[in-house]
Amino acid sequence: MDKRKFALLAGIAAMVMASGFGNTALAEGRLEQILQRGKLIVGTGTGNPPWHFRDEAGDMKGFDVDVAKIVAKGLFGDDTKIEFVNQASDARIPNIVTDKVDMTCQFMTVTAERAQQVNFTIPYYREGVGLMLGAGGKYKTHEEMKTAGSAVTVSVLQNVYAEDMVHYALPGAKVDQYESIDLAYQALNSGRADAVATDMSSLQWFMKQNPGKYVDAGYGWGPQTYSCAIKRGDQDFLNFVNTALHEALTGVEFATYAASFENWFGVKPPEPKIGFPSELR
Amino acid sequence: MYSFNFGVIEANADKFLYGLALGLGLALAAIVVGTLIGLACAFATRARARLPRMLVSGYVSAIRNTPLLVIVLFAYFALPQIGIKLGKYETFIVSLAIYSGAYLTEVFRAGLLGVPKGVVDAGRAIGLTGLQVALHVISPIMLRNSLPALGSTFISLFKDTSLAAVIAIPELTYQARKLNTETFRVAEAWATASVLYLSTCLIIAAGLRQLERRFPKF
Repeated sequence: MDKRKFALLAGIAAMVMASGFGNTALAEGRLEQILQRGKLIVGTGTGNPPWHFRDEAGDMKGFDVDVAKIVAKGLFGDDTKIEFVNQASDARIPNIVTDKVDMTCQFMTVTAERAQQVNFTIPYYREGVGLMLGAGGKYKTHEEMKTAGSAVTVSVLQNVYAEDMVHYALPGAKVDQYESIDLAYQALNSGRADAVATDMSSLQWFMKQNPGKYVDAGYGWGPQTYSCAIKRGDQDFLNFVNTALHEALTGVEFATYAASFENWFGVKPPEPKIGFPSELR
Repeated sequence: MYSFNFGVIEANADKFLYGLALGLGLALAAIVVGTLIGLACAFATRARARLPRMLVSGYVSAIRNTPLLVIVLFAYFALPQIGIKLGKYETFIVSLAIYSGAYLTEVFRAGLLGVPKGVVDAGRAIGLTGLQVALHVISPIMLRNSLPALGSTFISLFKDTSLAAVIAIPELTYQARKLNTETFRVAEAWATASVLYLSTCLIIAAGLRQLERRFPKF
């Protein structure tokens, strides 16, 4: 065997070995692990409707839960092949990093800082602050309230940026801070406040529970993107989850996503436009 | 291990003092109204007719057996829905006045019971009218008798203003709670509020003791 032939063979052997190792590496990827295991392990909470909570029967319900089910359906064609790990909000990142969960879907706000610790999937919801008014009350829209200036009182849950948050939308409004969101809603019912300002999703959920009693002032601000998160460094699994979510937001699973969206927020999400894919425009 | 940092308290000292002043103002307004209610009701218990006595005893037992927080929440949230709507501050002052009125009724009633019958008879004997006896004979003695209990009622009334935080009145407890949510300086915020309540109550108590000492003895 001359030197050139040897070099060629060695080269082929190296390539085979490399691709072989590549295959084992692939077999140990998160996607294969989950498929072999037969269920997806998802971290989420249990006490925040409409996002994640247990219903009377003890089953996990909510929008986060439905999003996780979409991924499970994509994996196994069966959205029940899923195990939920109950975790507090501050365990969201640690449980991903330590492999306690494959994925976390728990109204997790995307920030660049967090993206240094985990990989975020594509977003499935954009949260913001909204204003809820009593139906048939003094004001109908955000514009009317803005014009009324300091005549308007807004009730909010006590929090760090409560005043700034309200004043961004209604610079003149008086802000009454309550120690629970229930009291803030009660203040609206009793005419102590003209509007409640809180997360749009909470308002929509509340309005869905009490149909006809309240209206949305038609203005949202303070955007926050919600995404699921997985462990960093597994691009293949990230691609898979992104594909599953993307097709739920715009493709074959849209009906599932839309039904869930309407179920929890009381409104339909915009239909994907047929024809040229809008995300590539 | 929790490490203390009172810097946030210093930076928010004005808010704490504003809250304290607001609490004192609420208490003062409630004390004035509550004292009037208490005096009127206490004298009504001495009436010969049955109706006023029954009304007062109904009022006193109803209010004394209901938590103040429930009264406040009822007045603030429930009354507007049946058409009675006072402002935030007025609602709290009226609630606290009605609440303290019941306690002050008992305080003044006890004071009245301590007025010797002989003194009243002596007043009548020298030709004073019923009203004159009440004003110049009974009232001073009753007030003297009531002072110690009155002092403790006033102090607990001031402490009760902390409940105003629940209906978004920015008094001391509200400020402490707000600072707590904003900075998570939980120990500092509540320690400061406690010390402010404690020292204010001690000052009020000392003032009332002075008043007791200087009050003419009979």
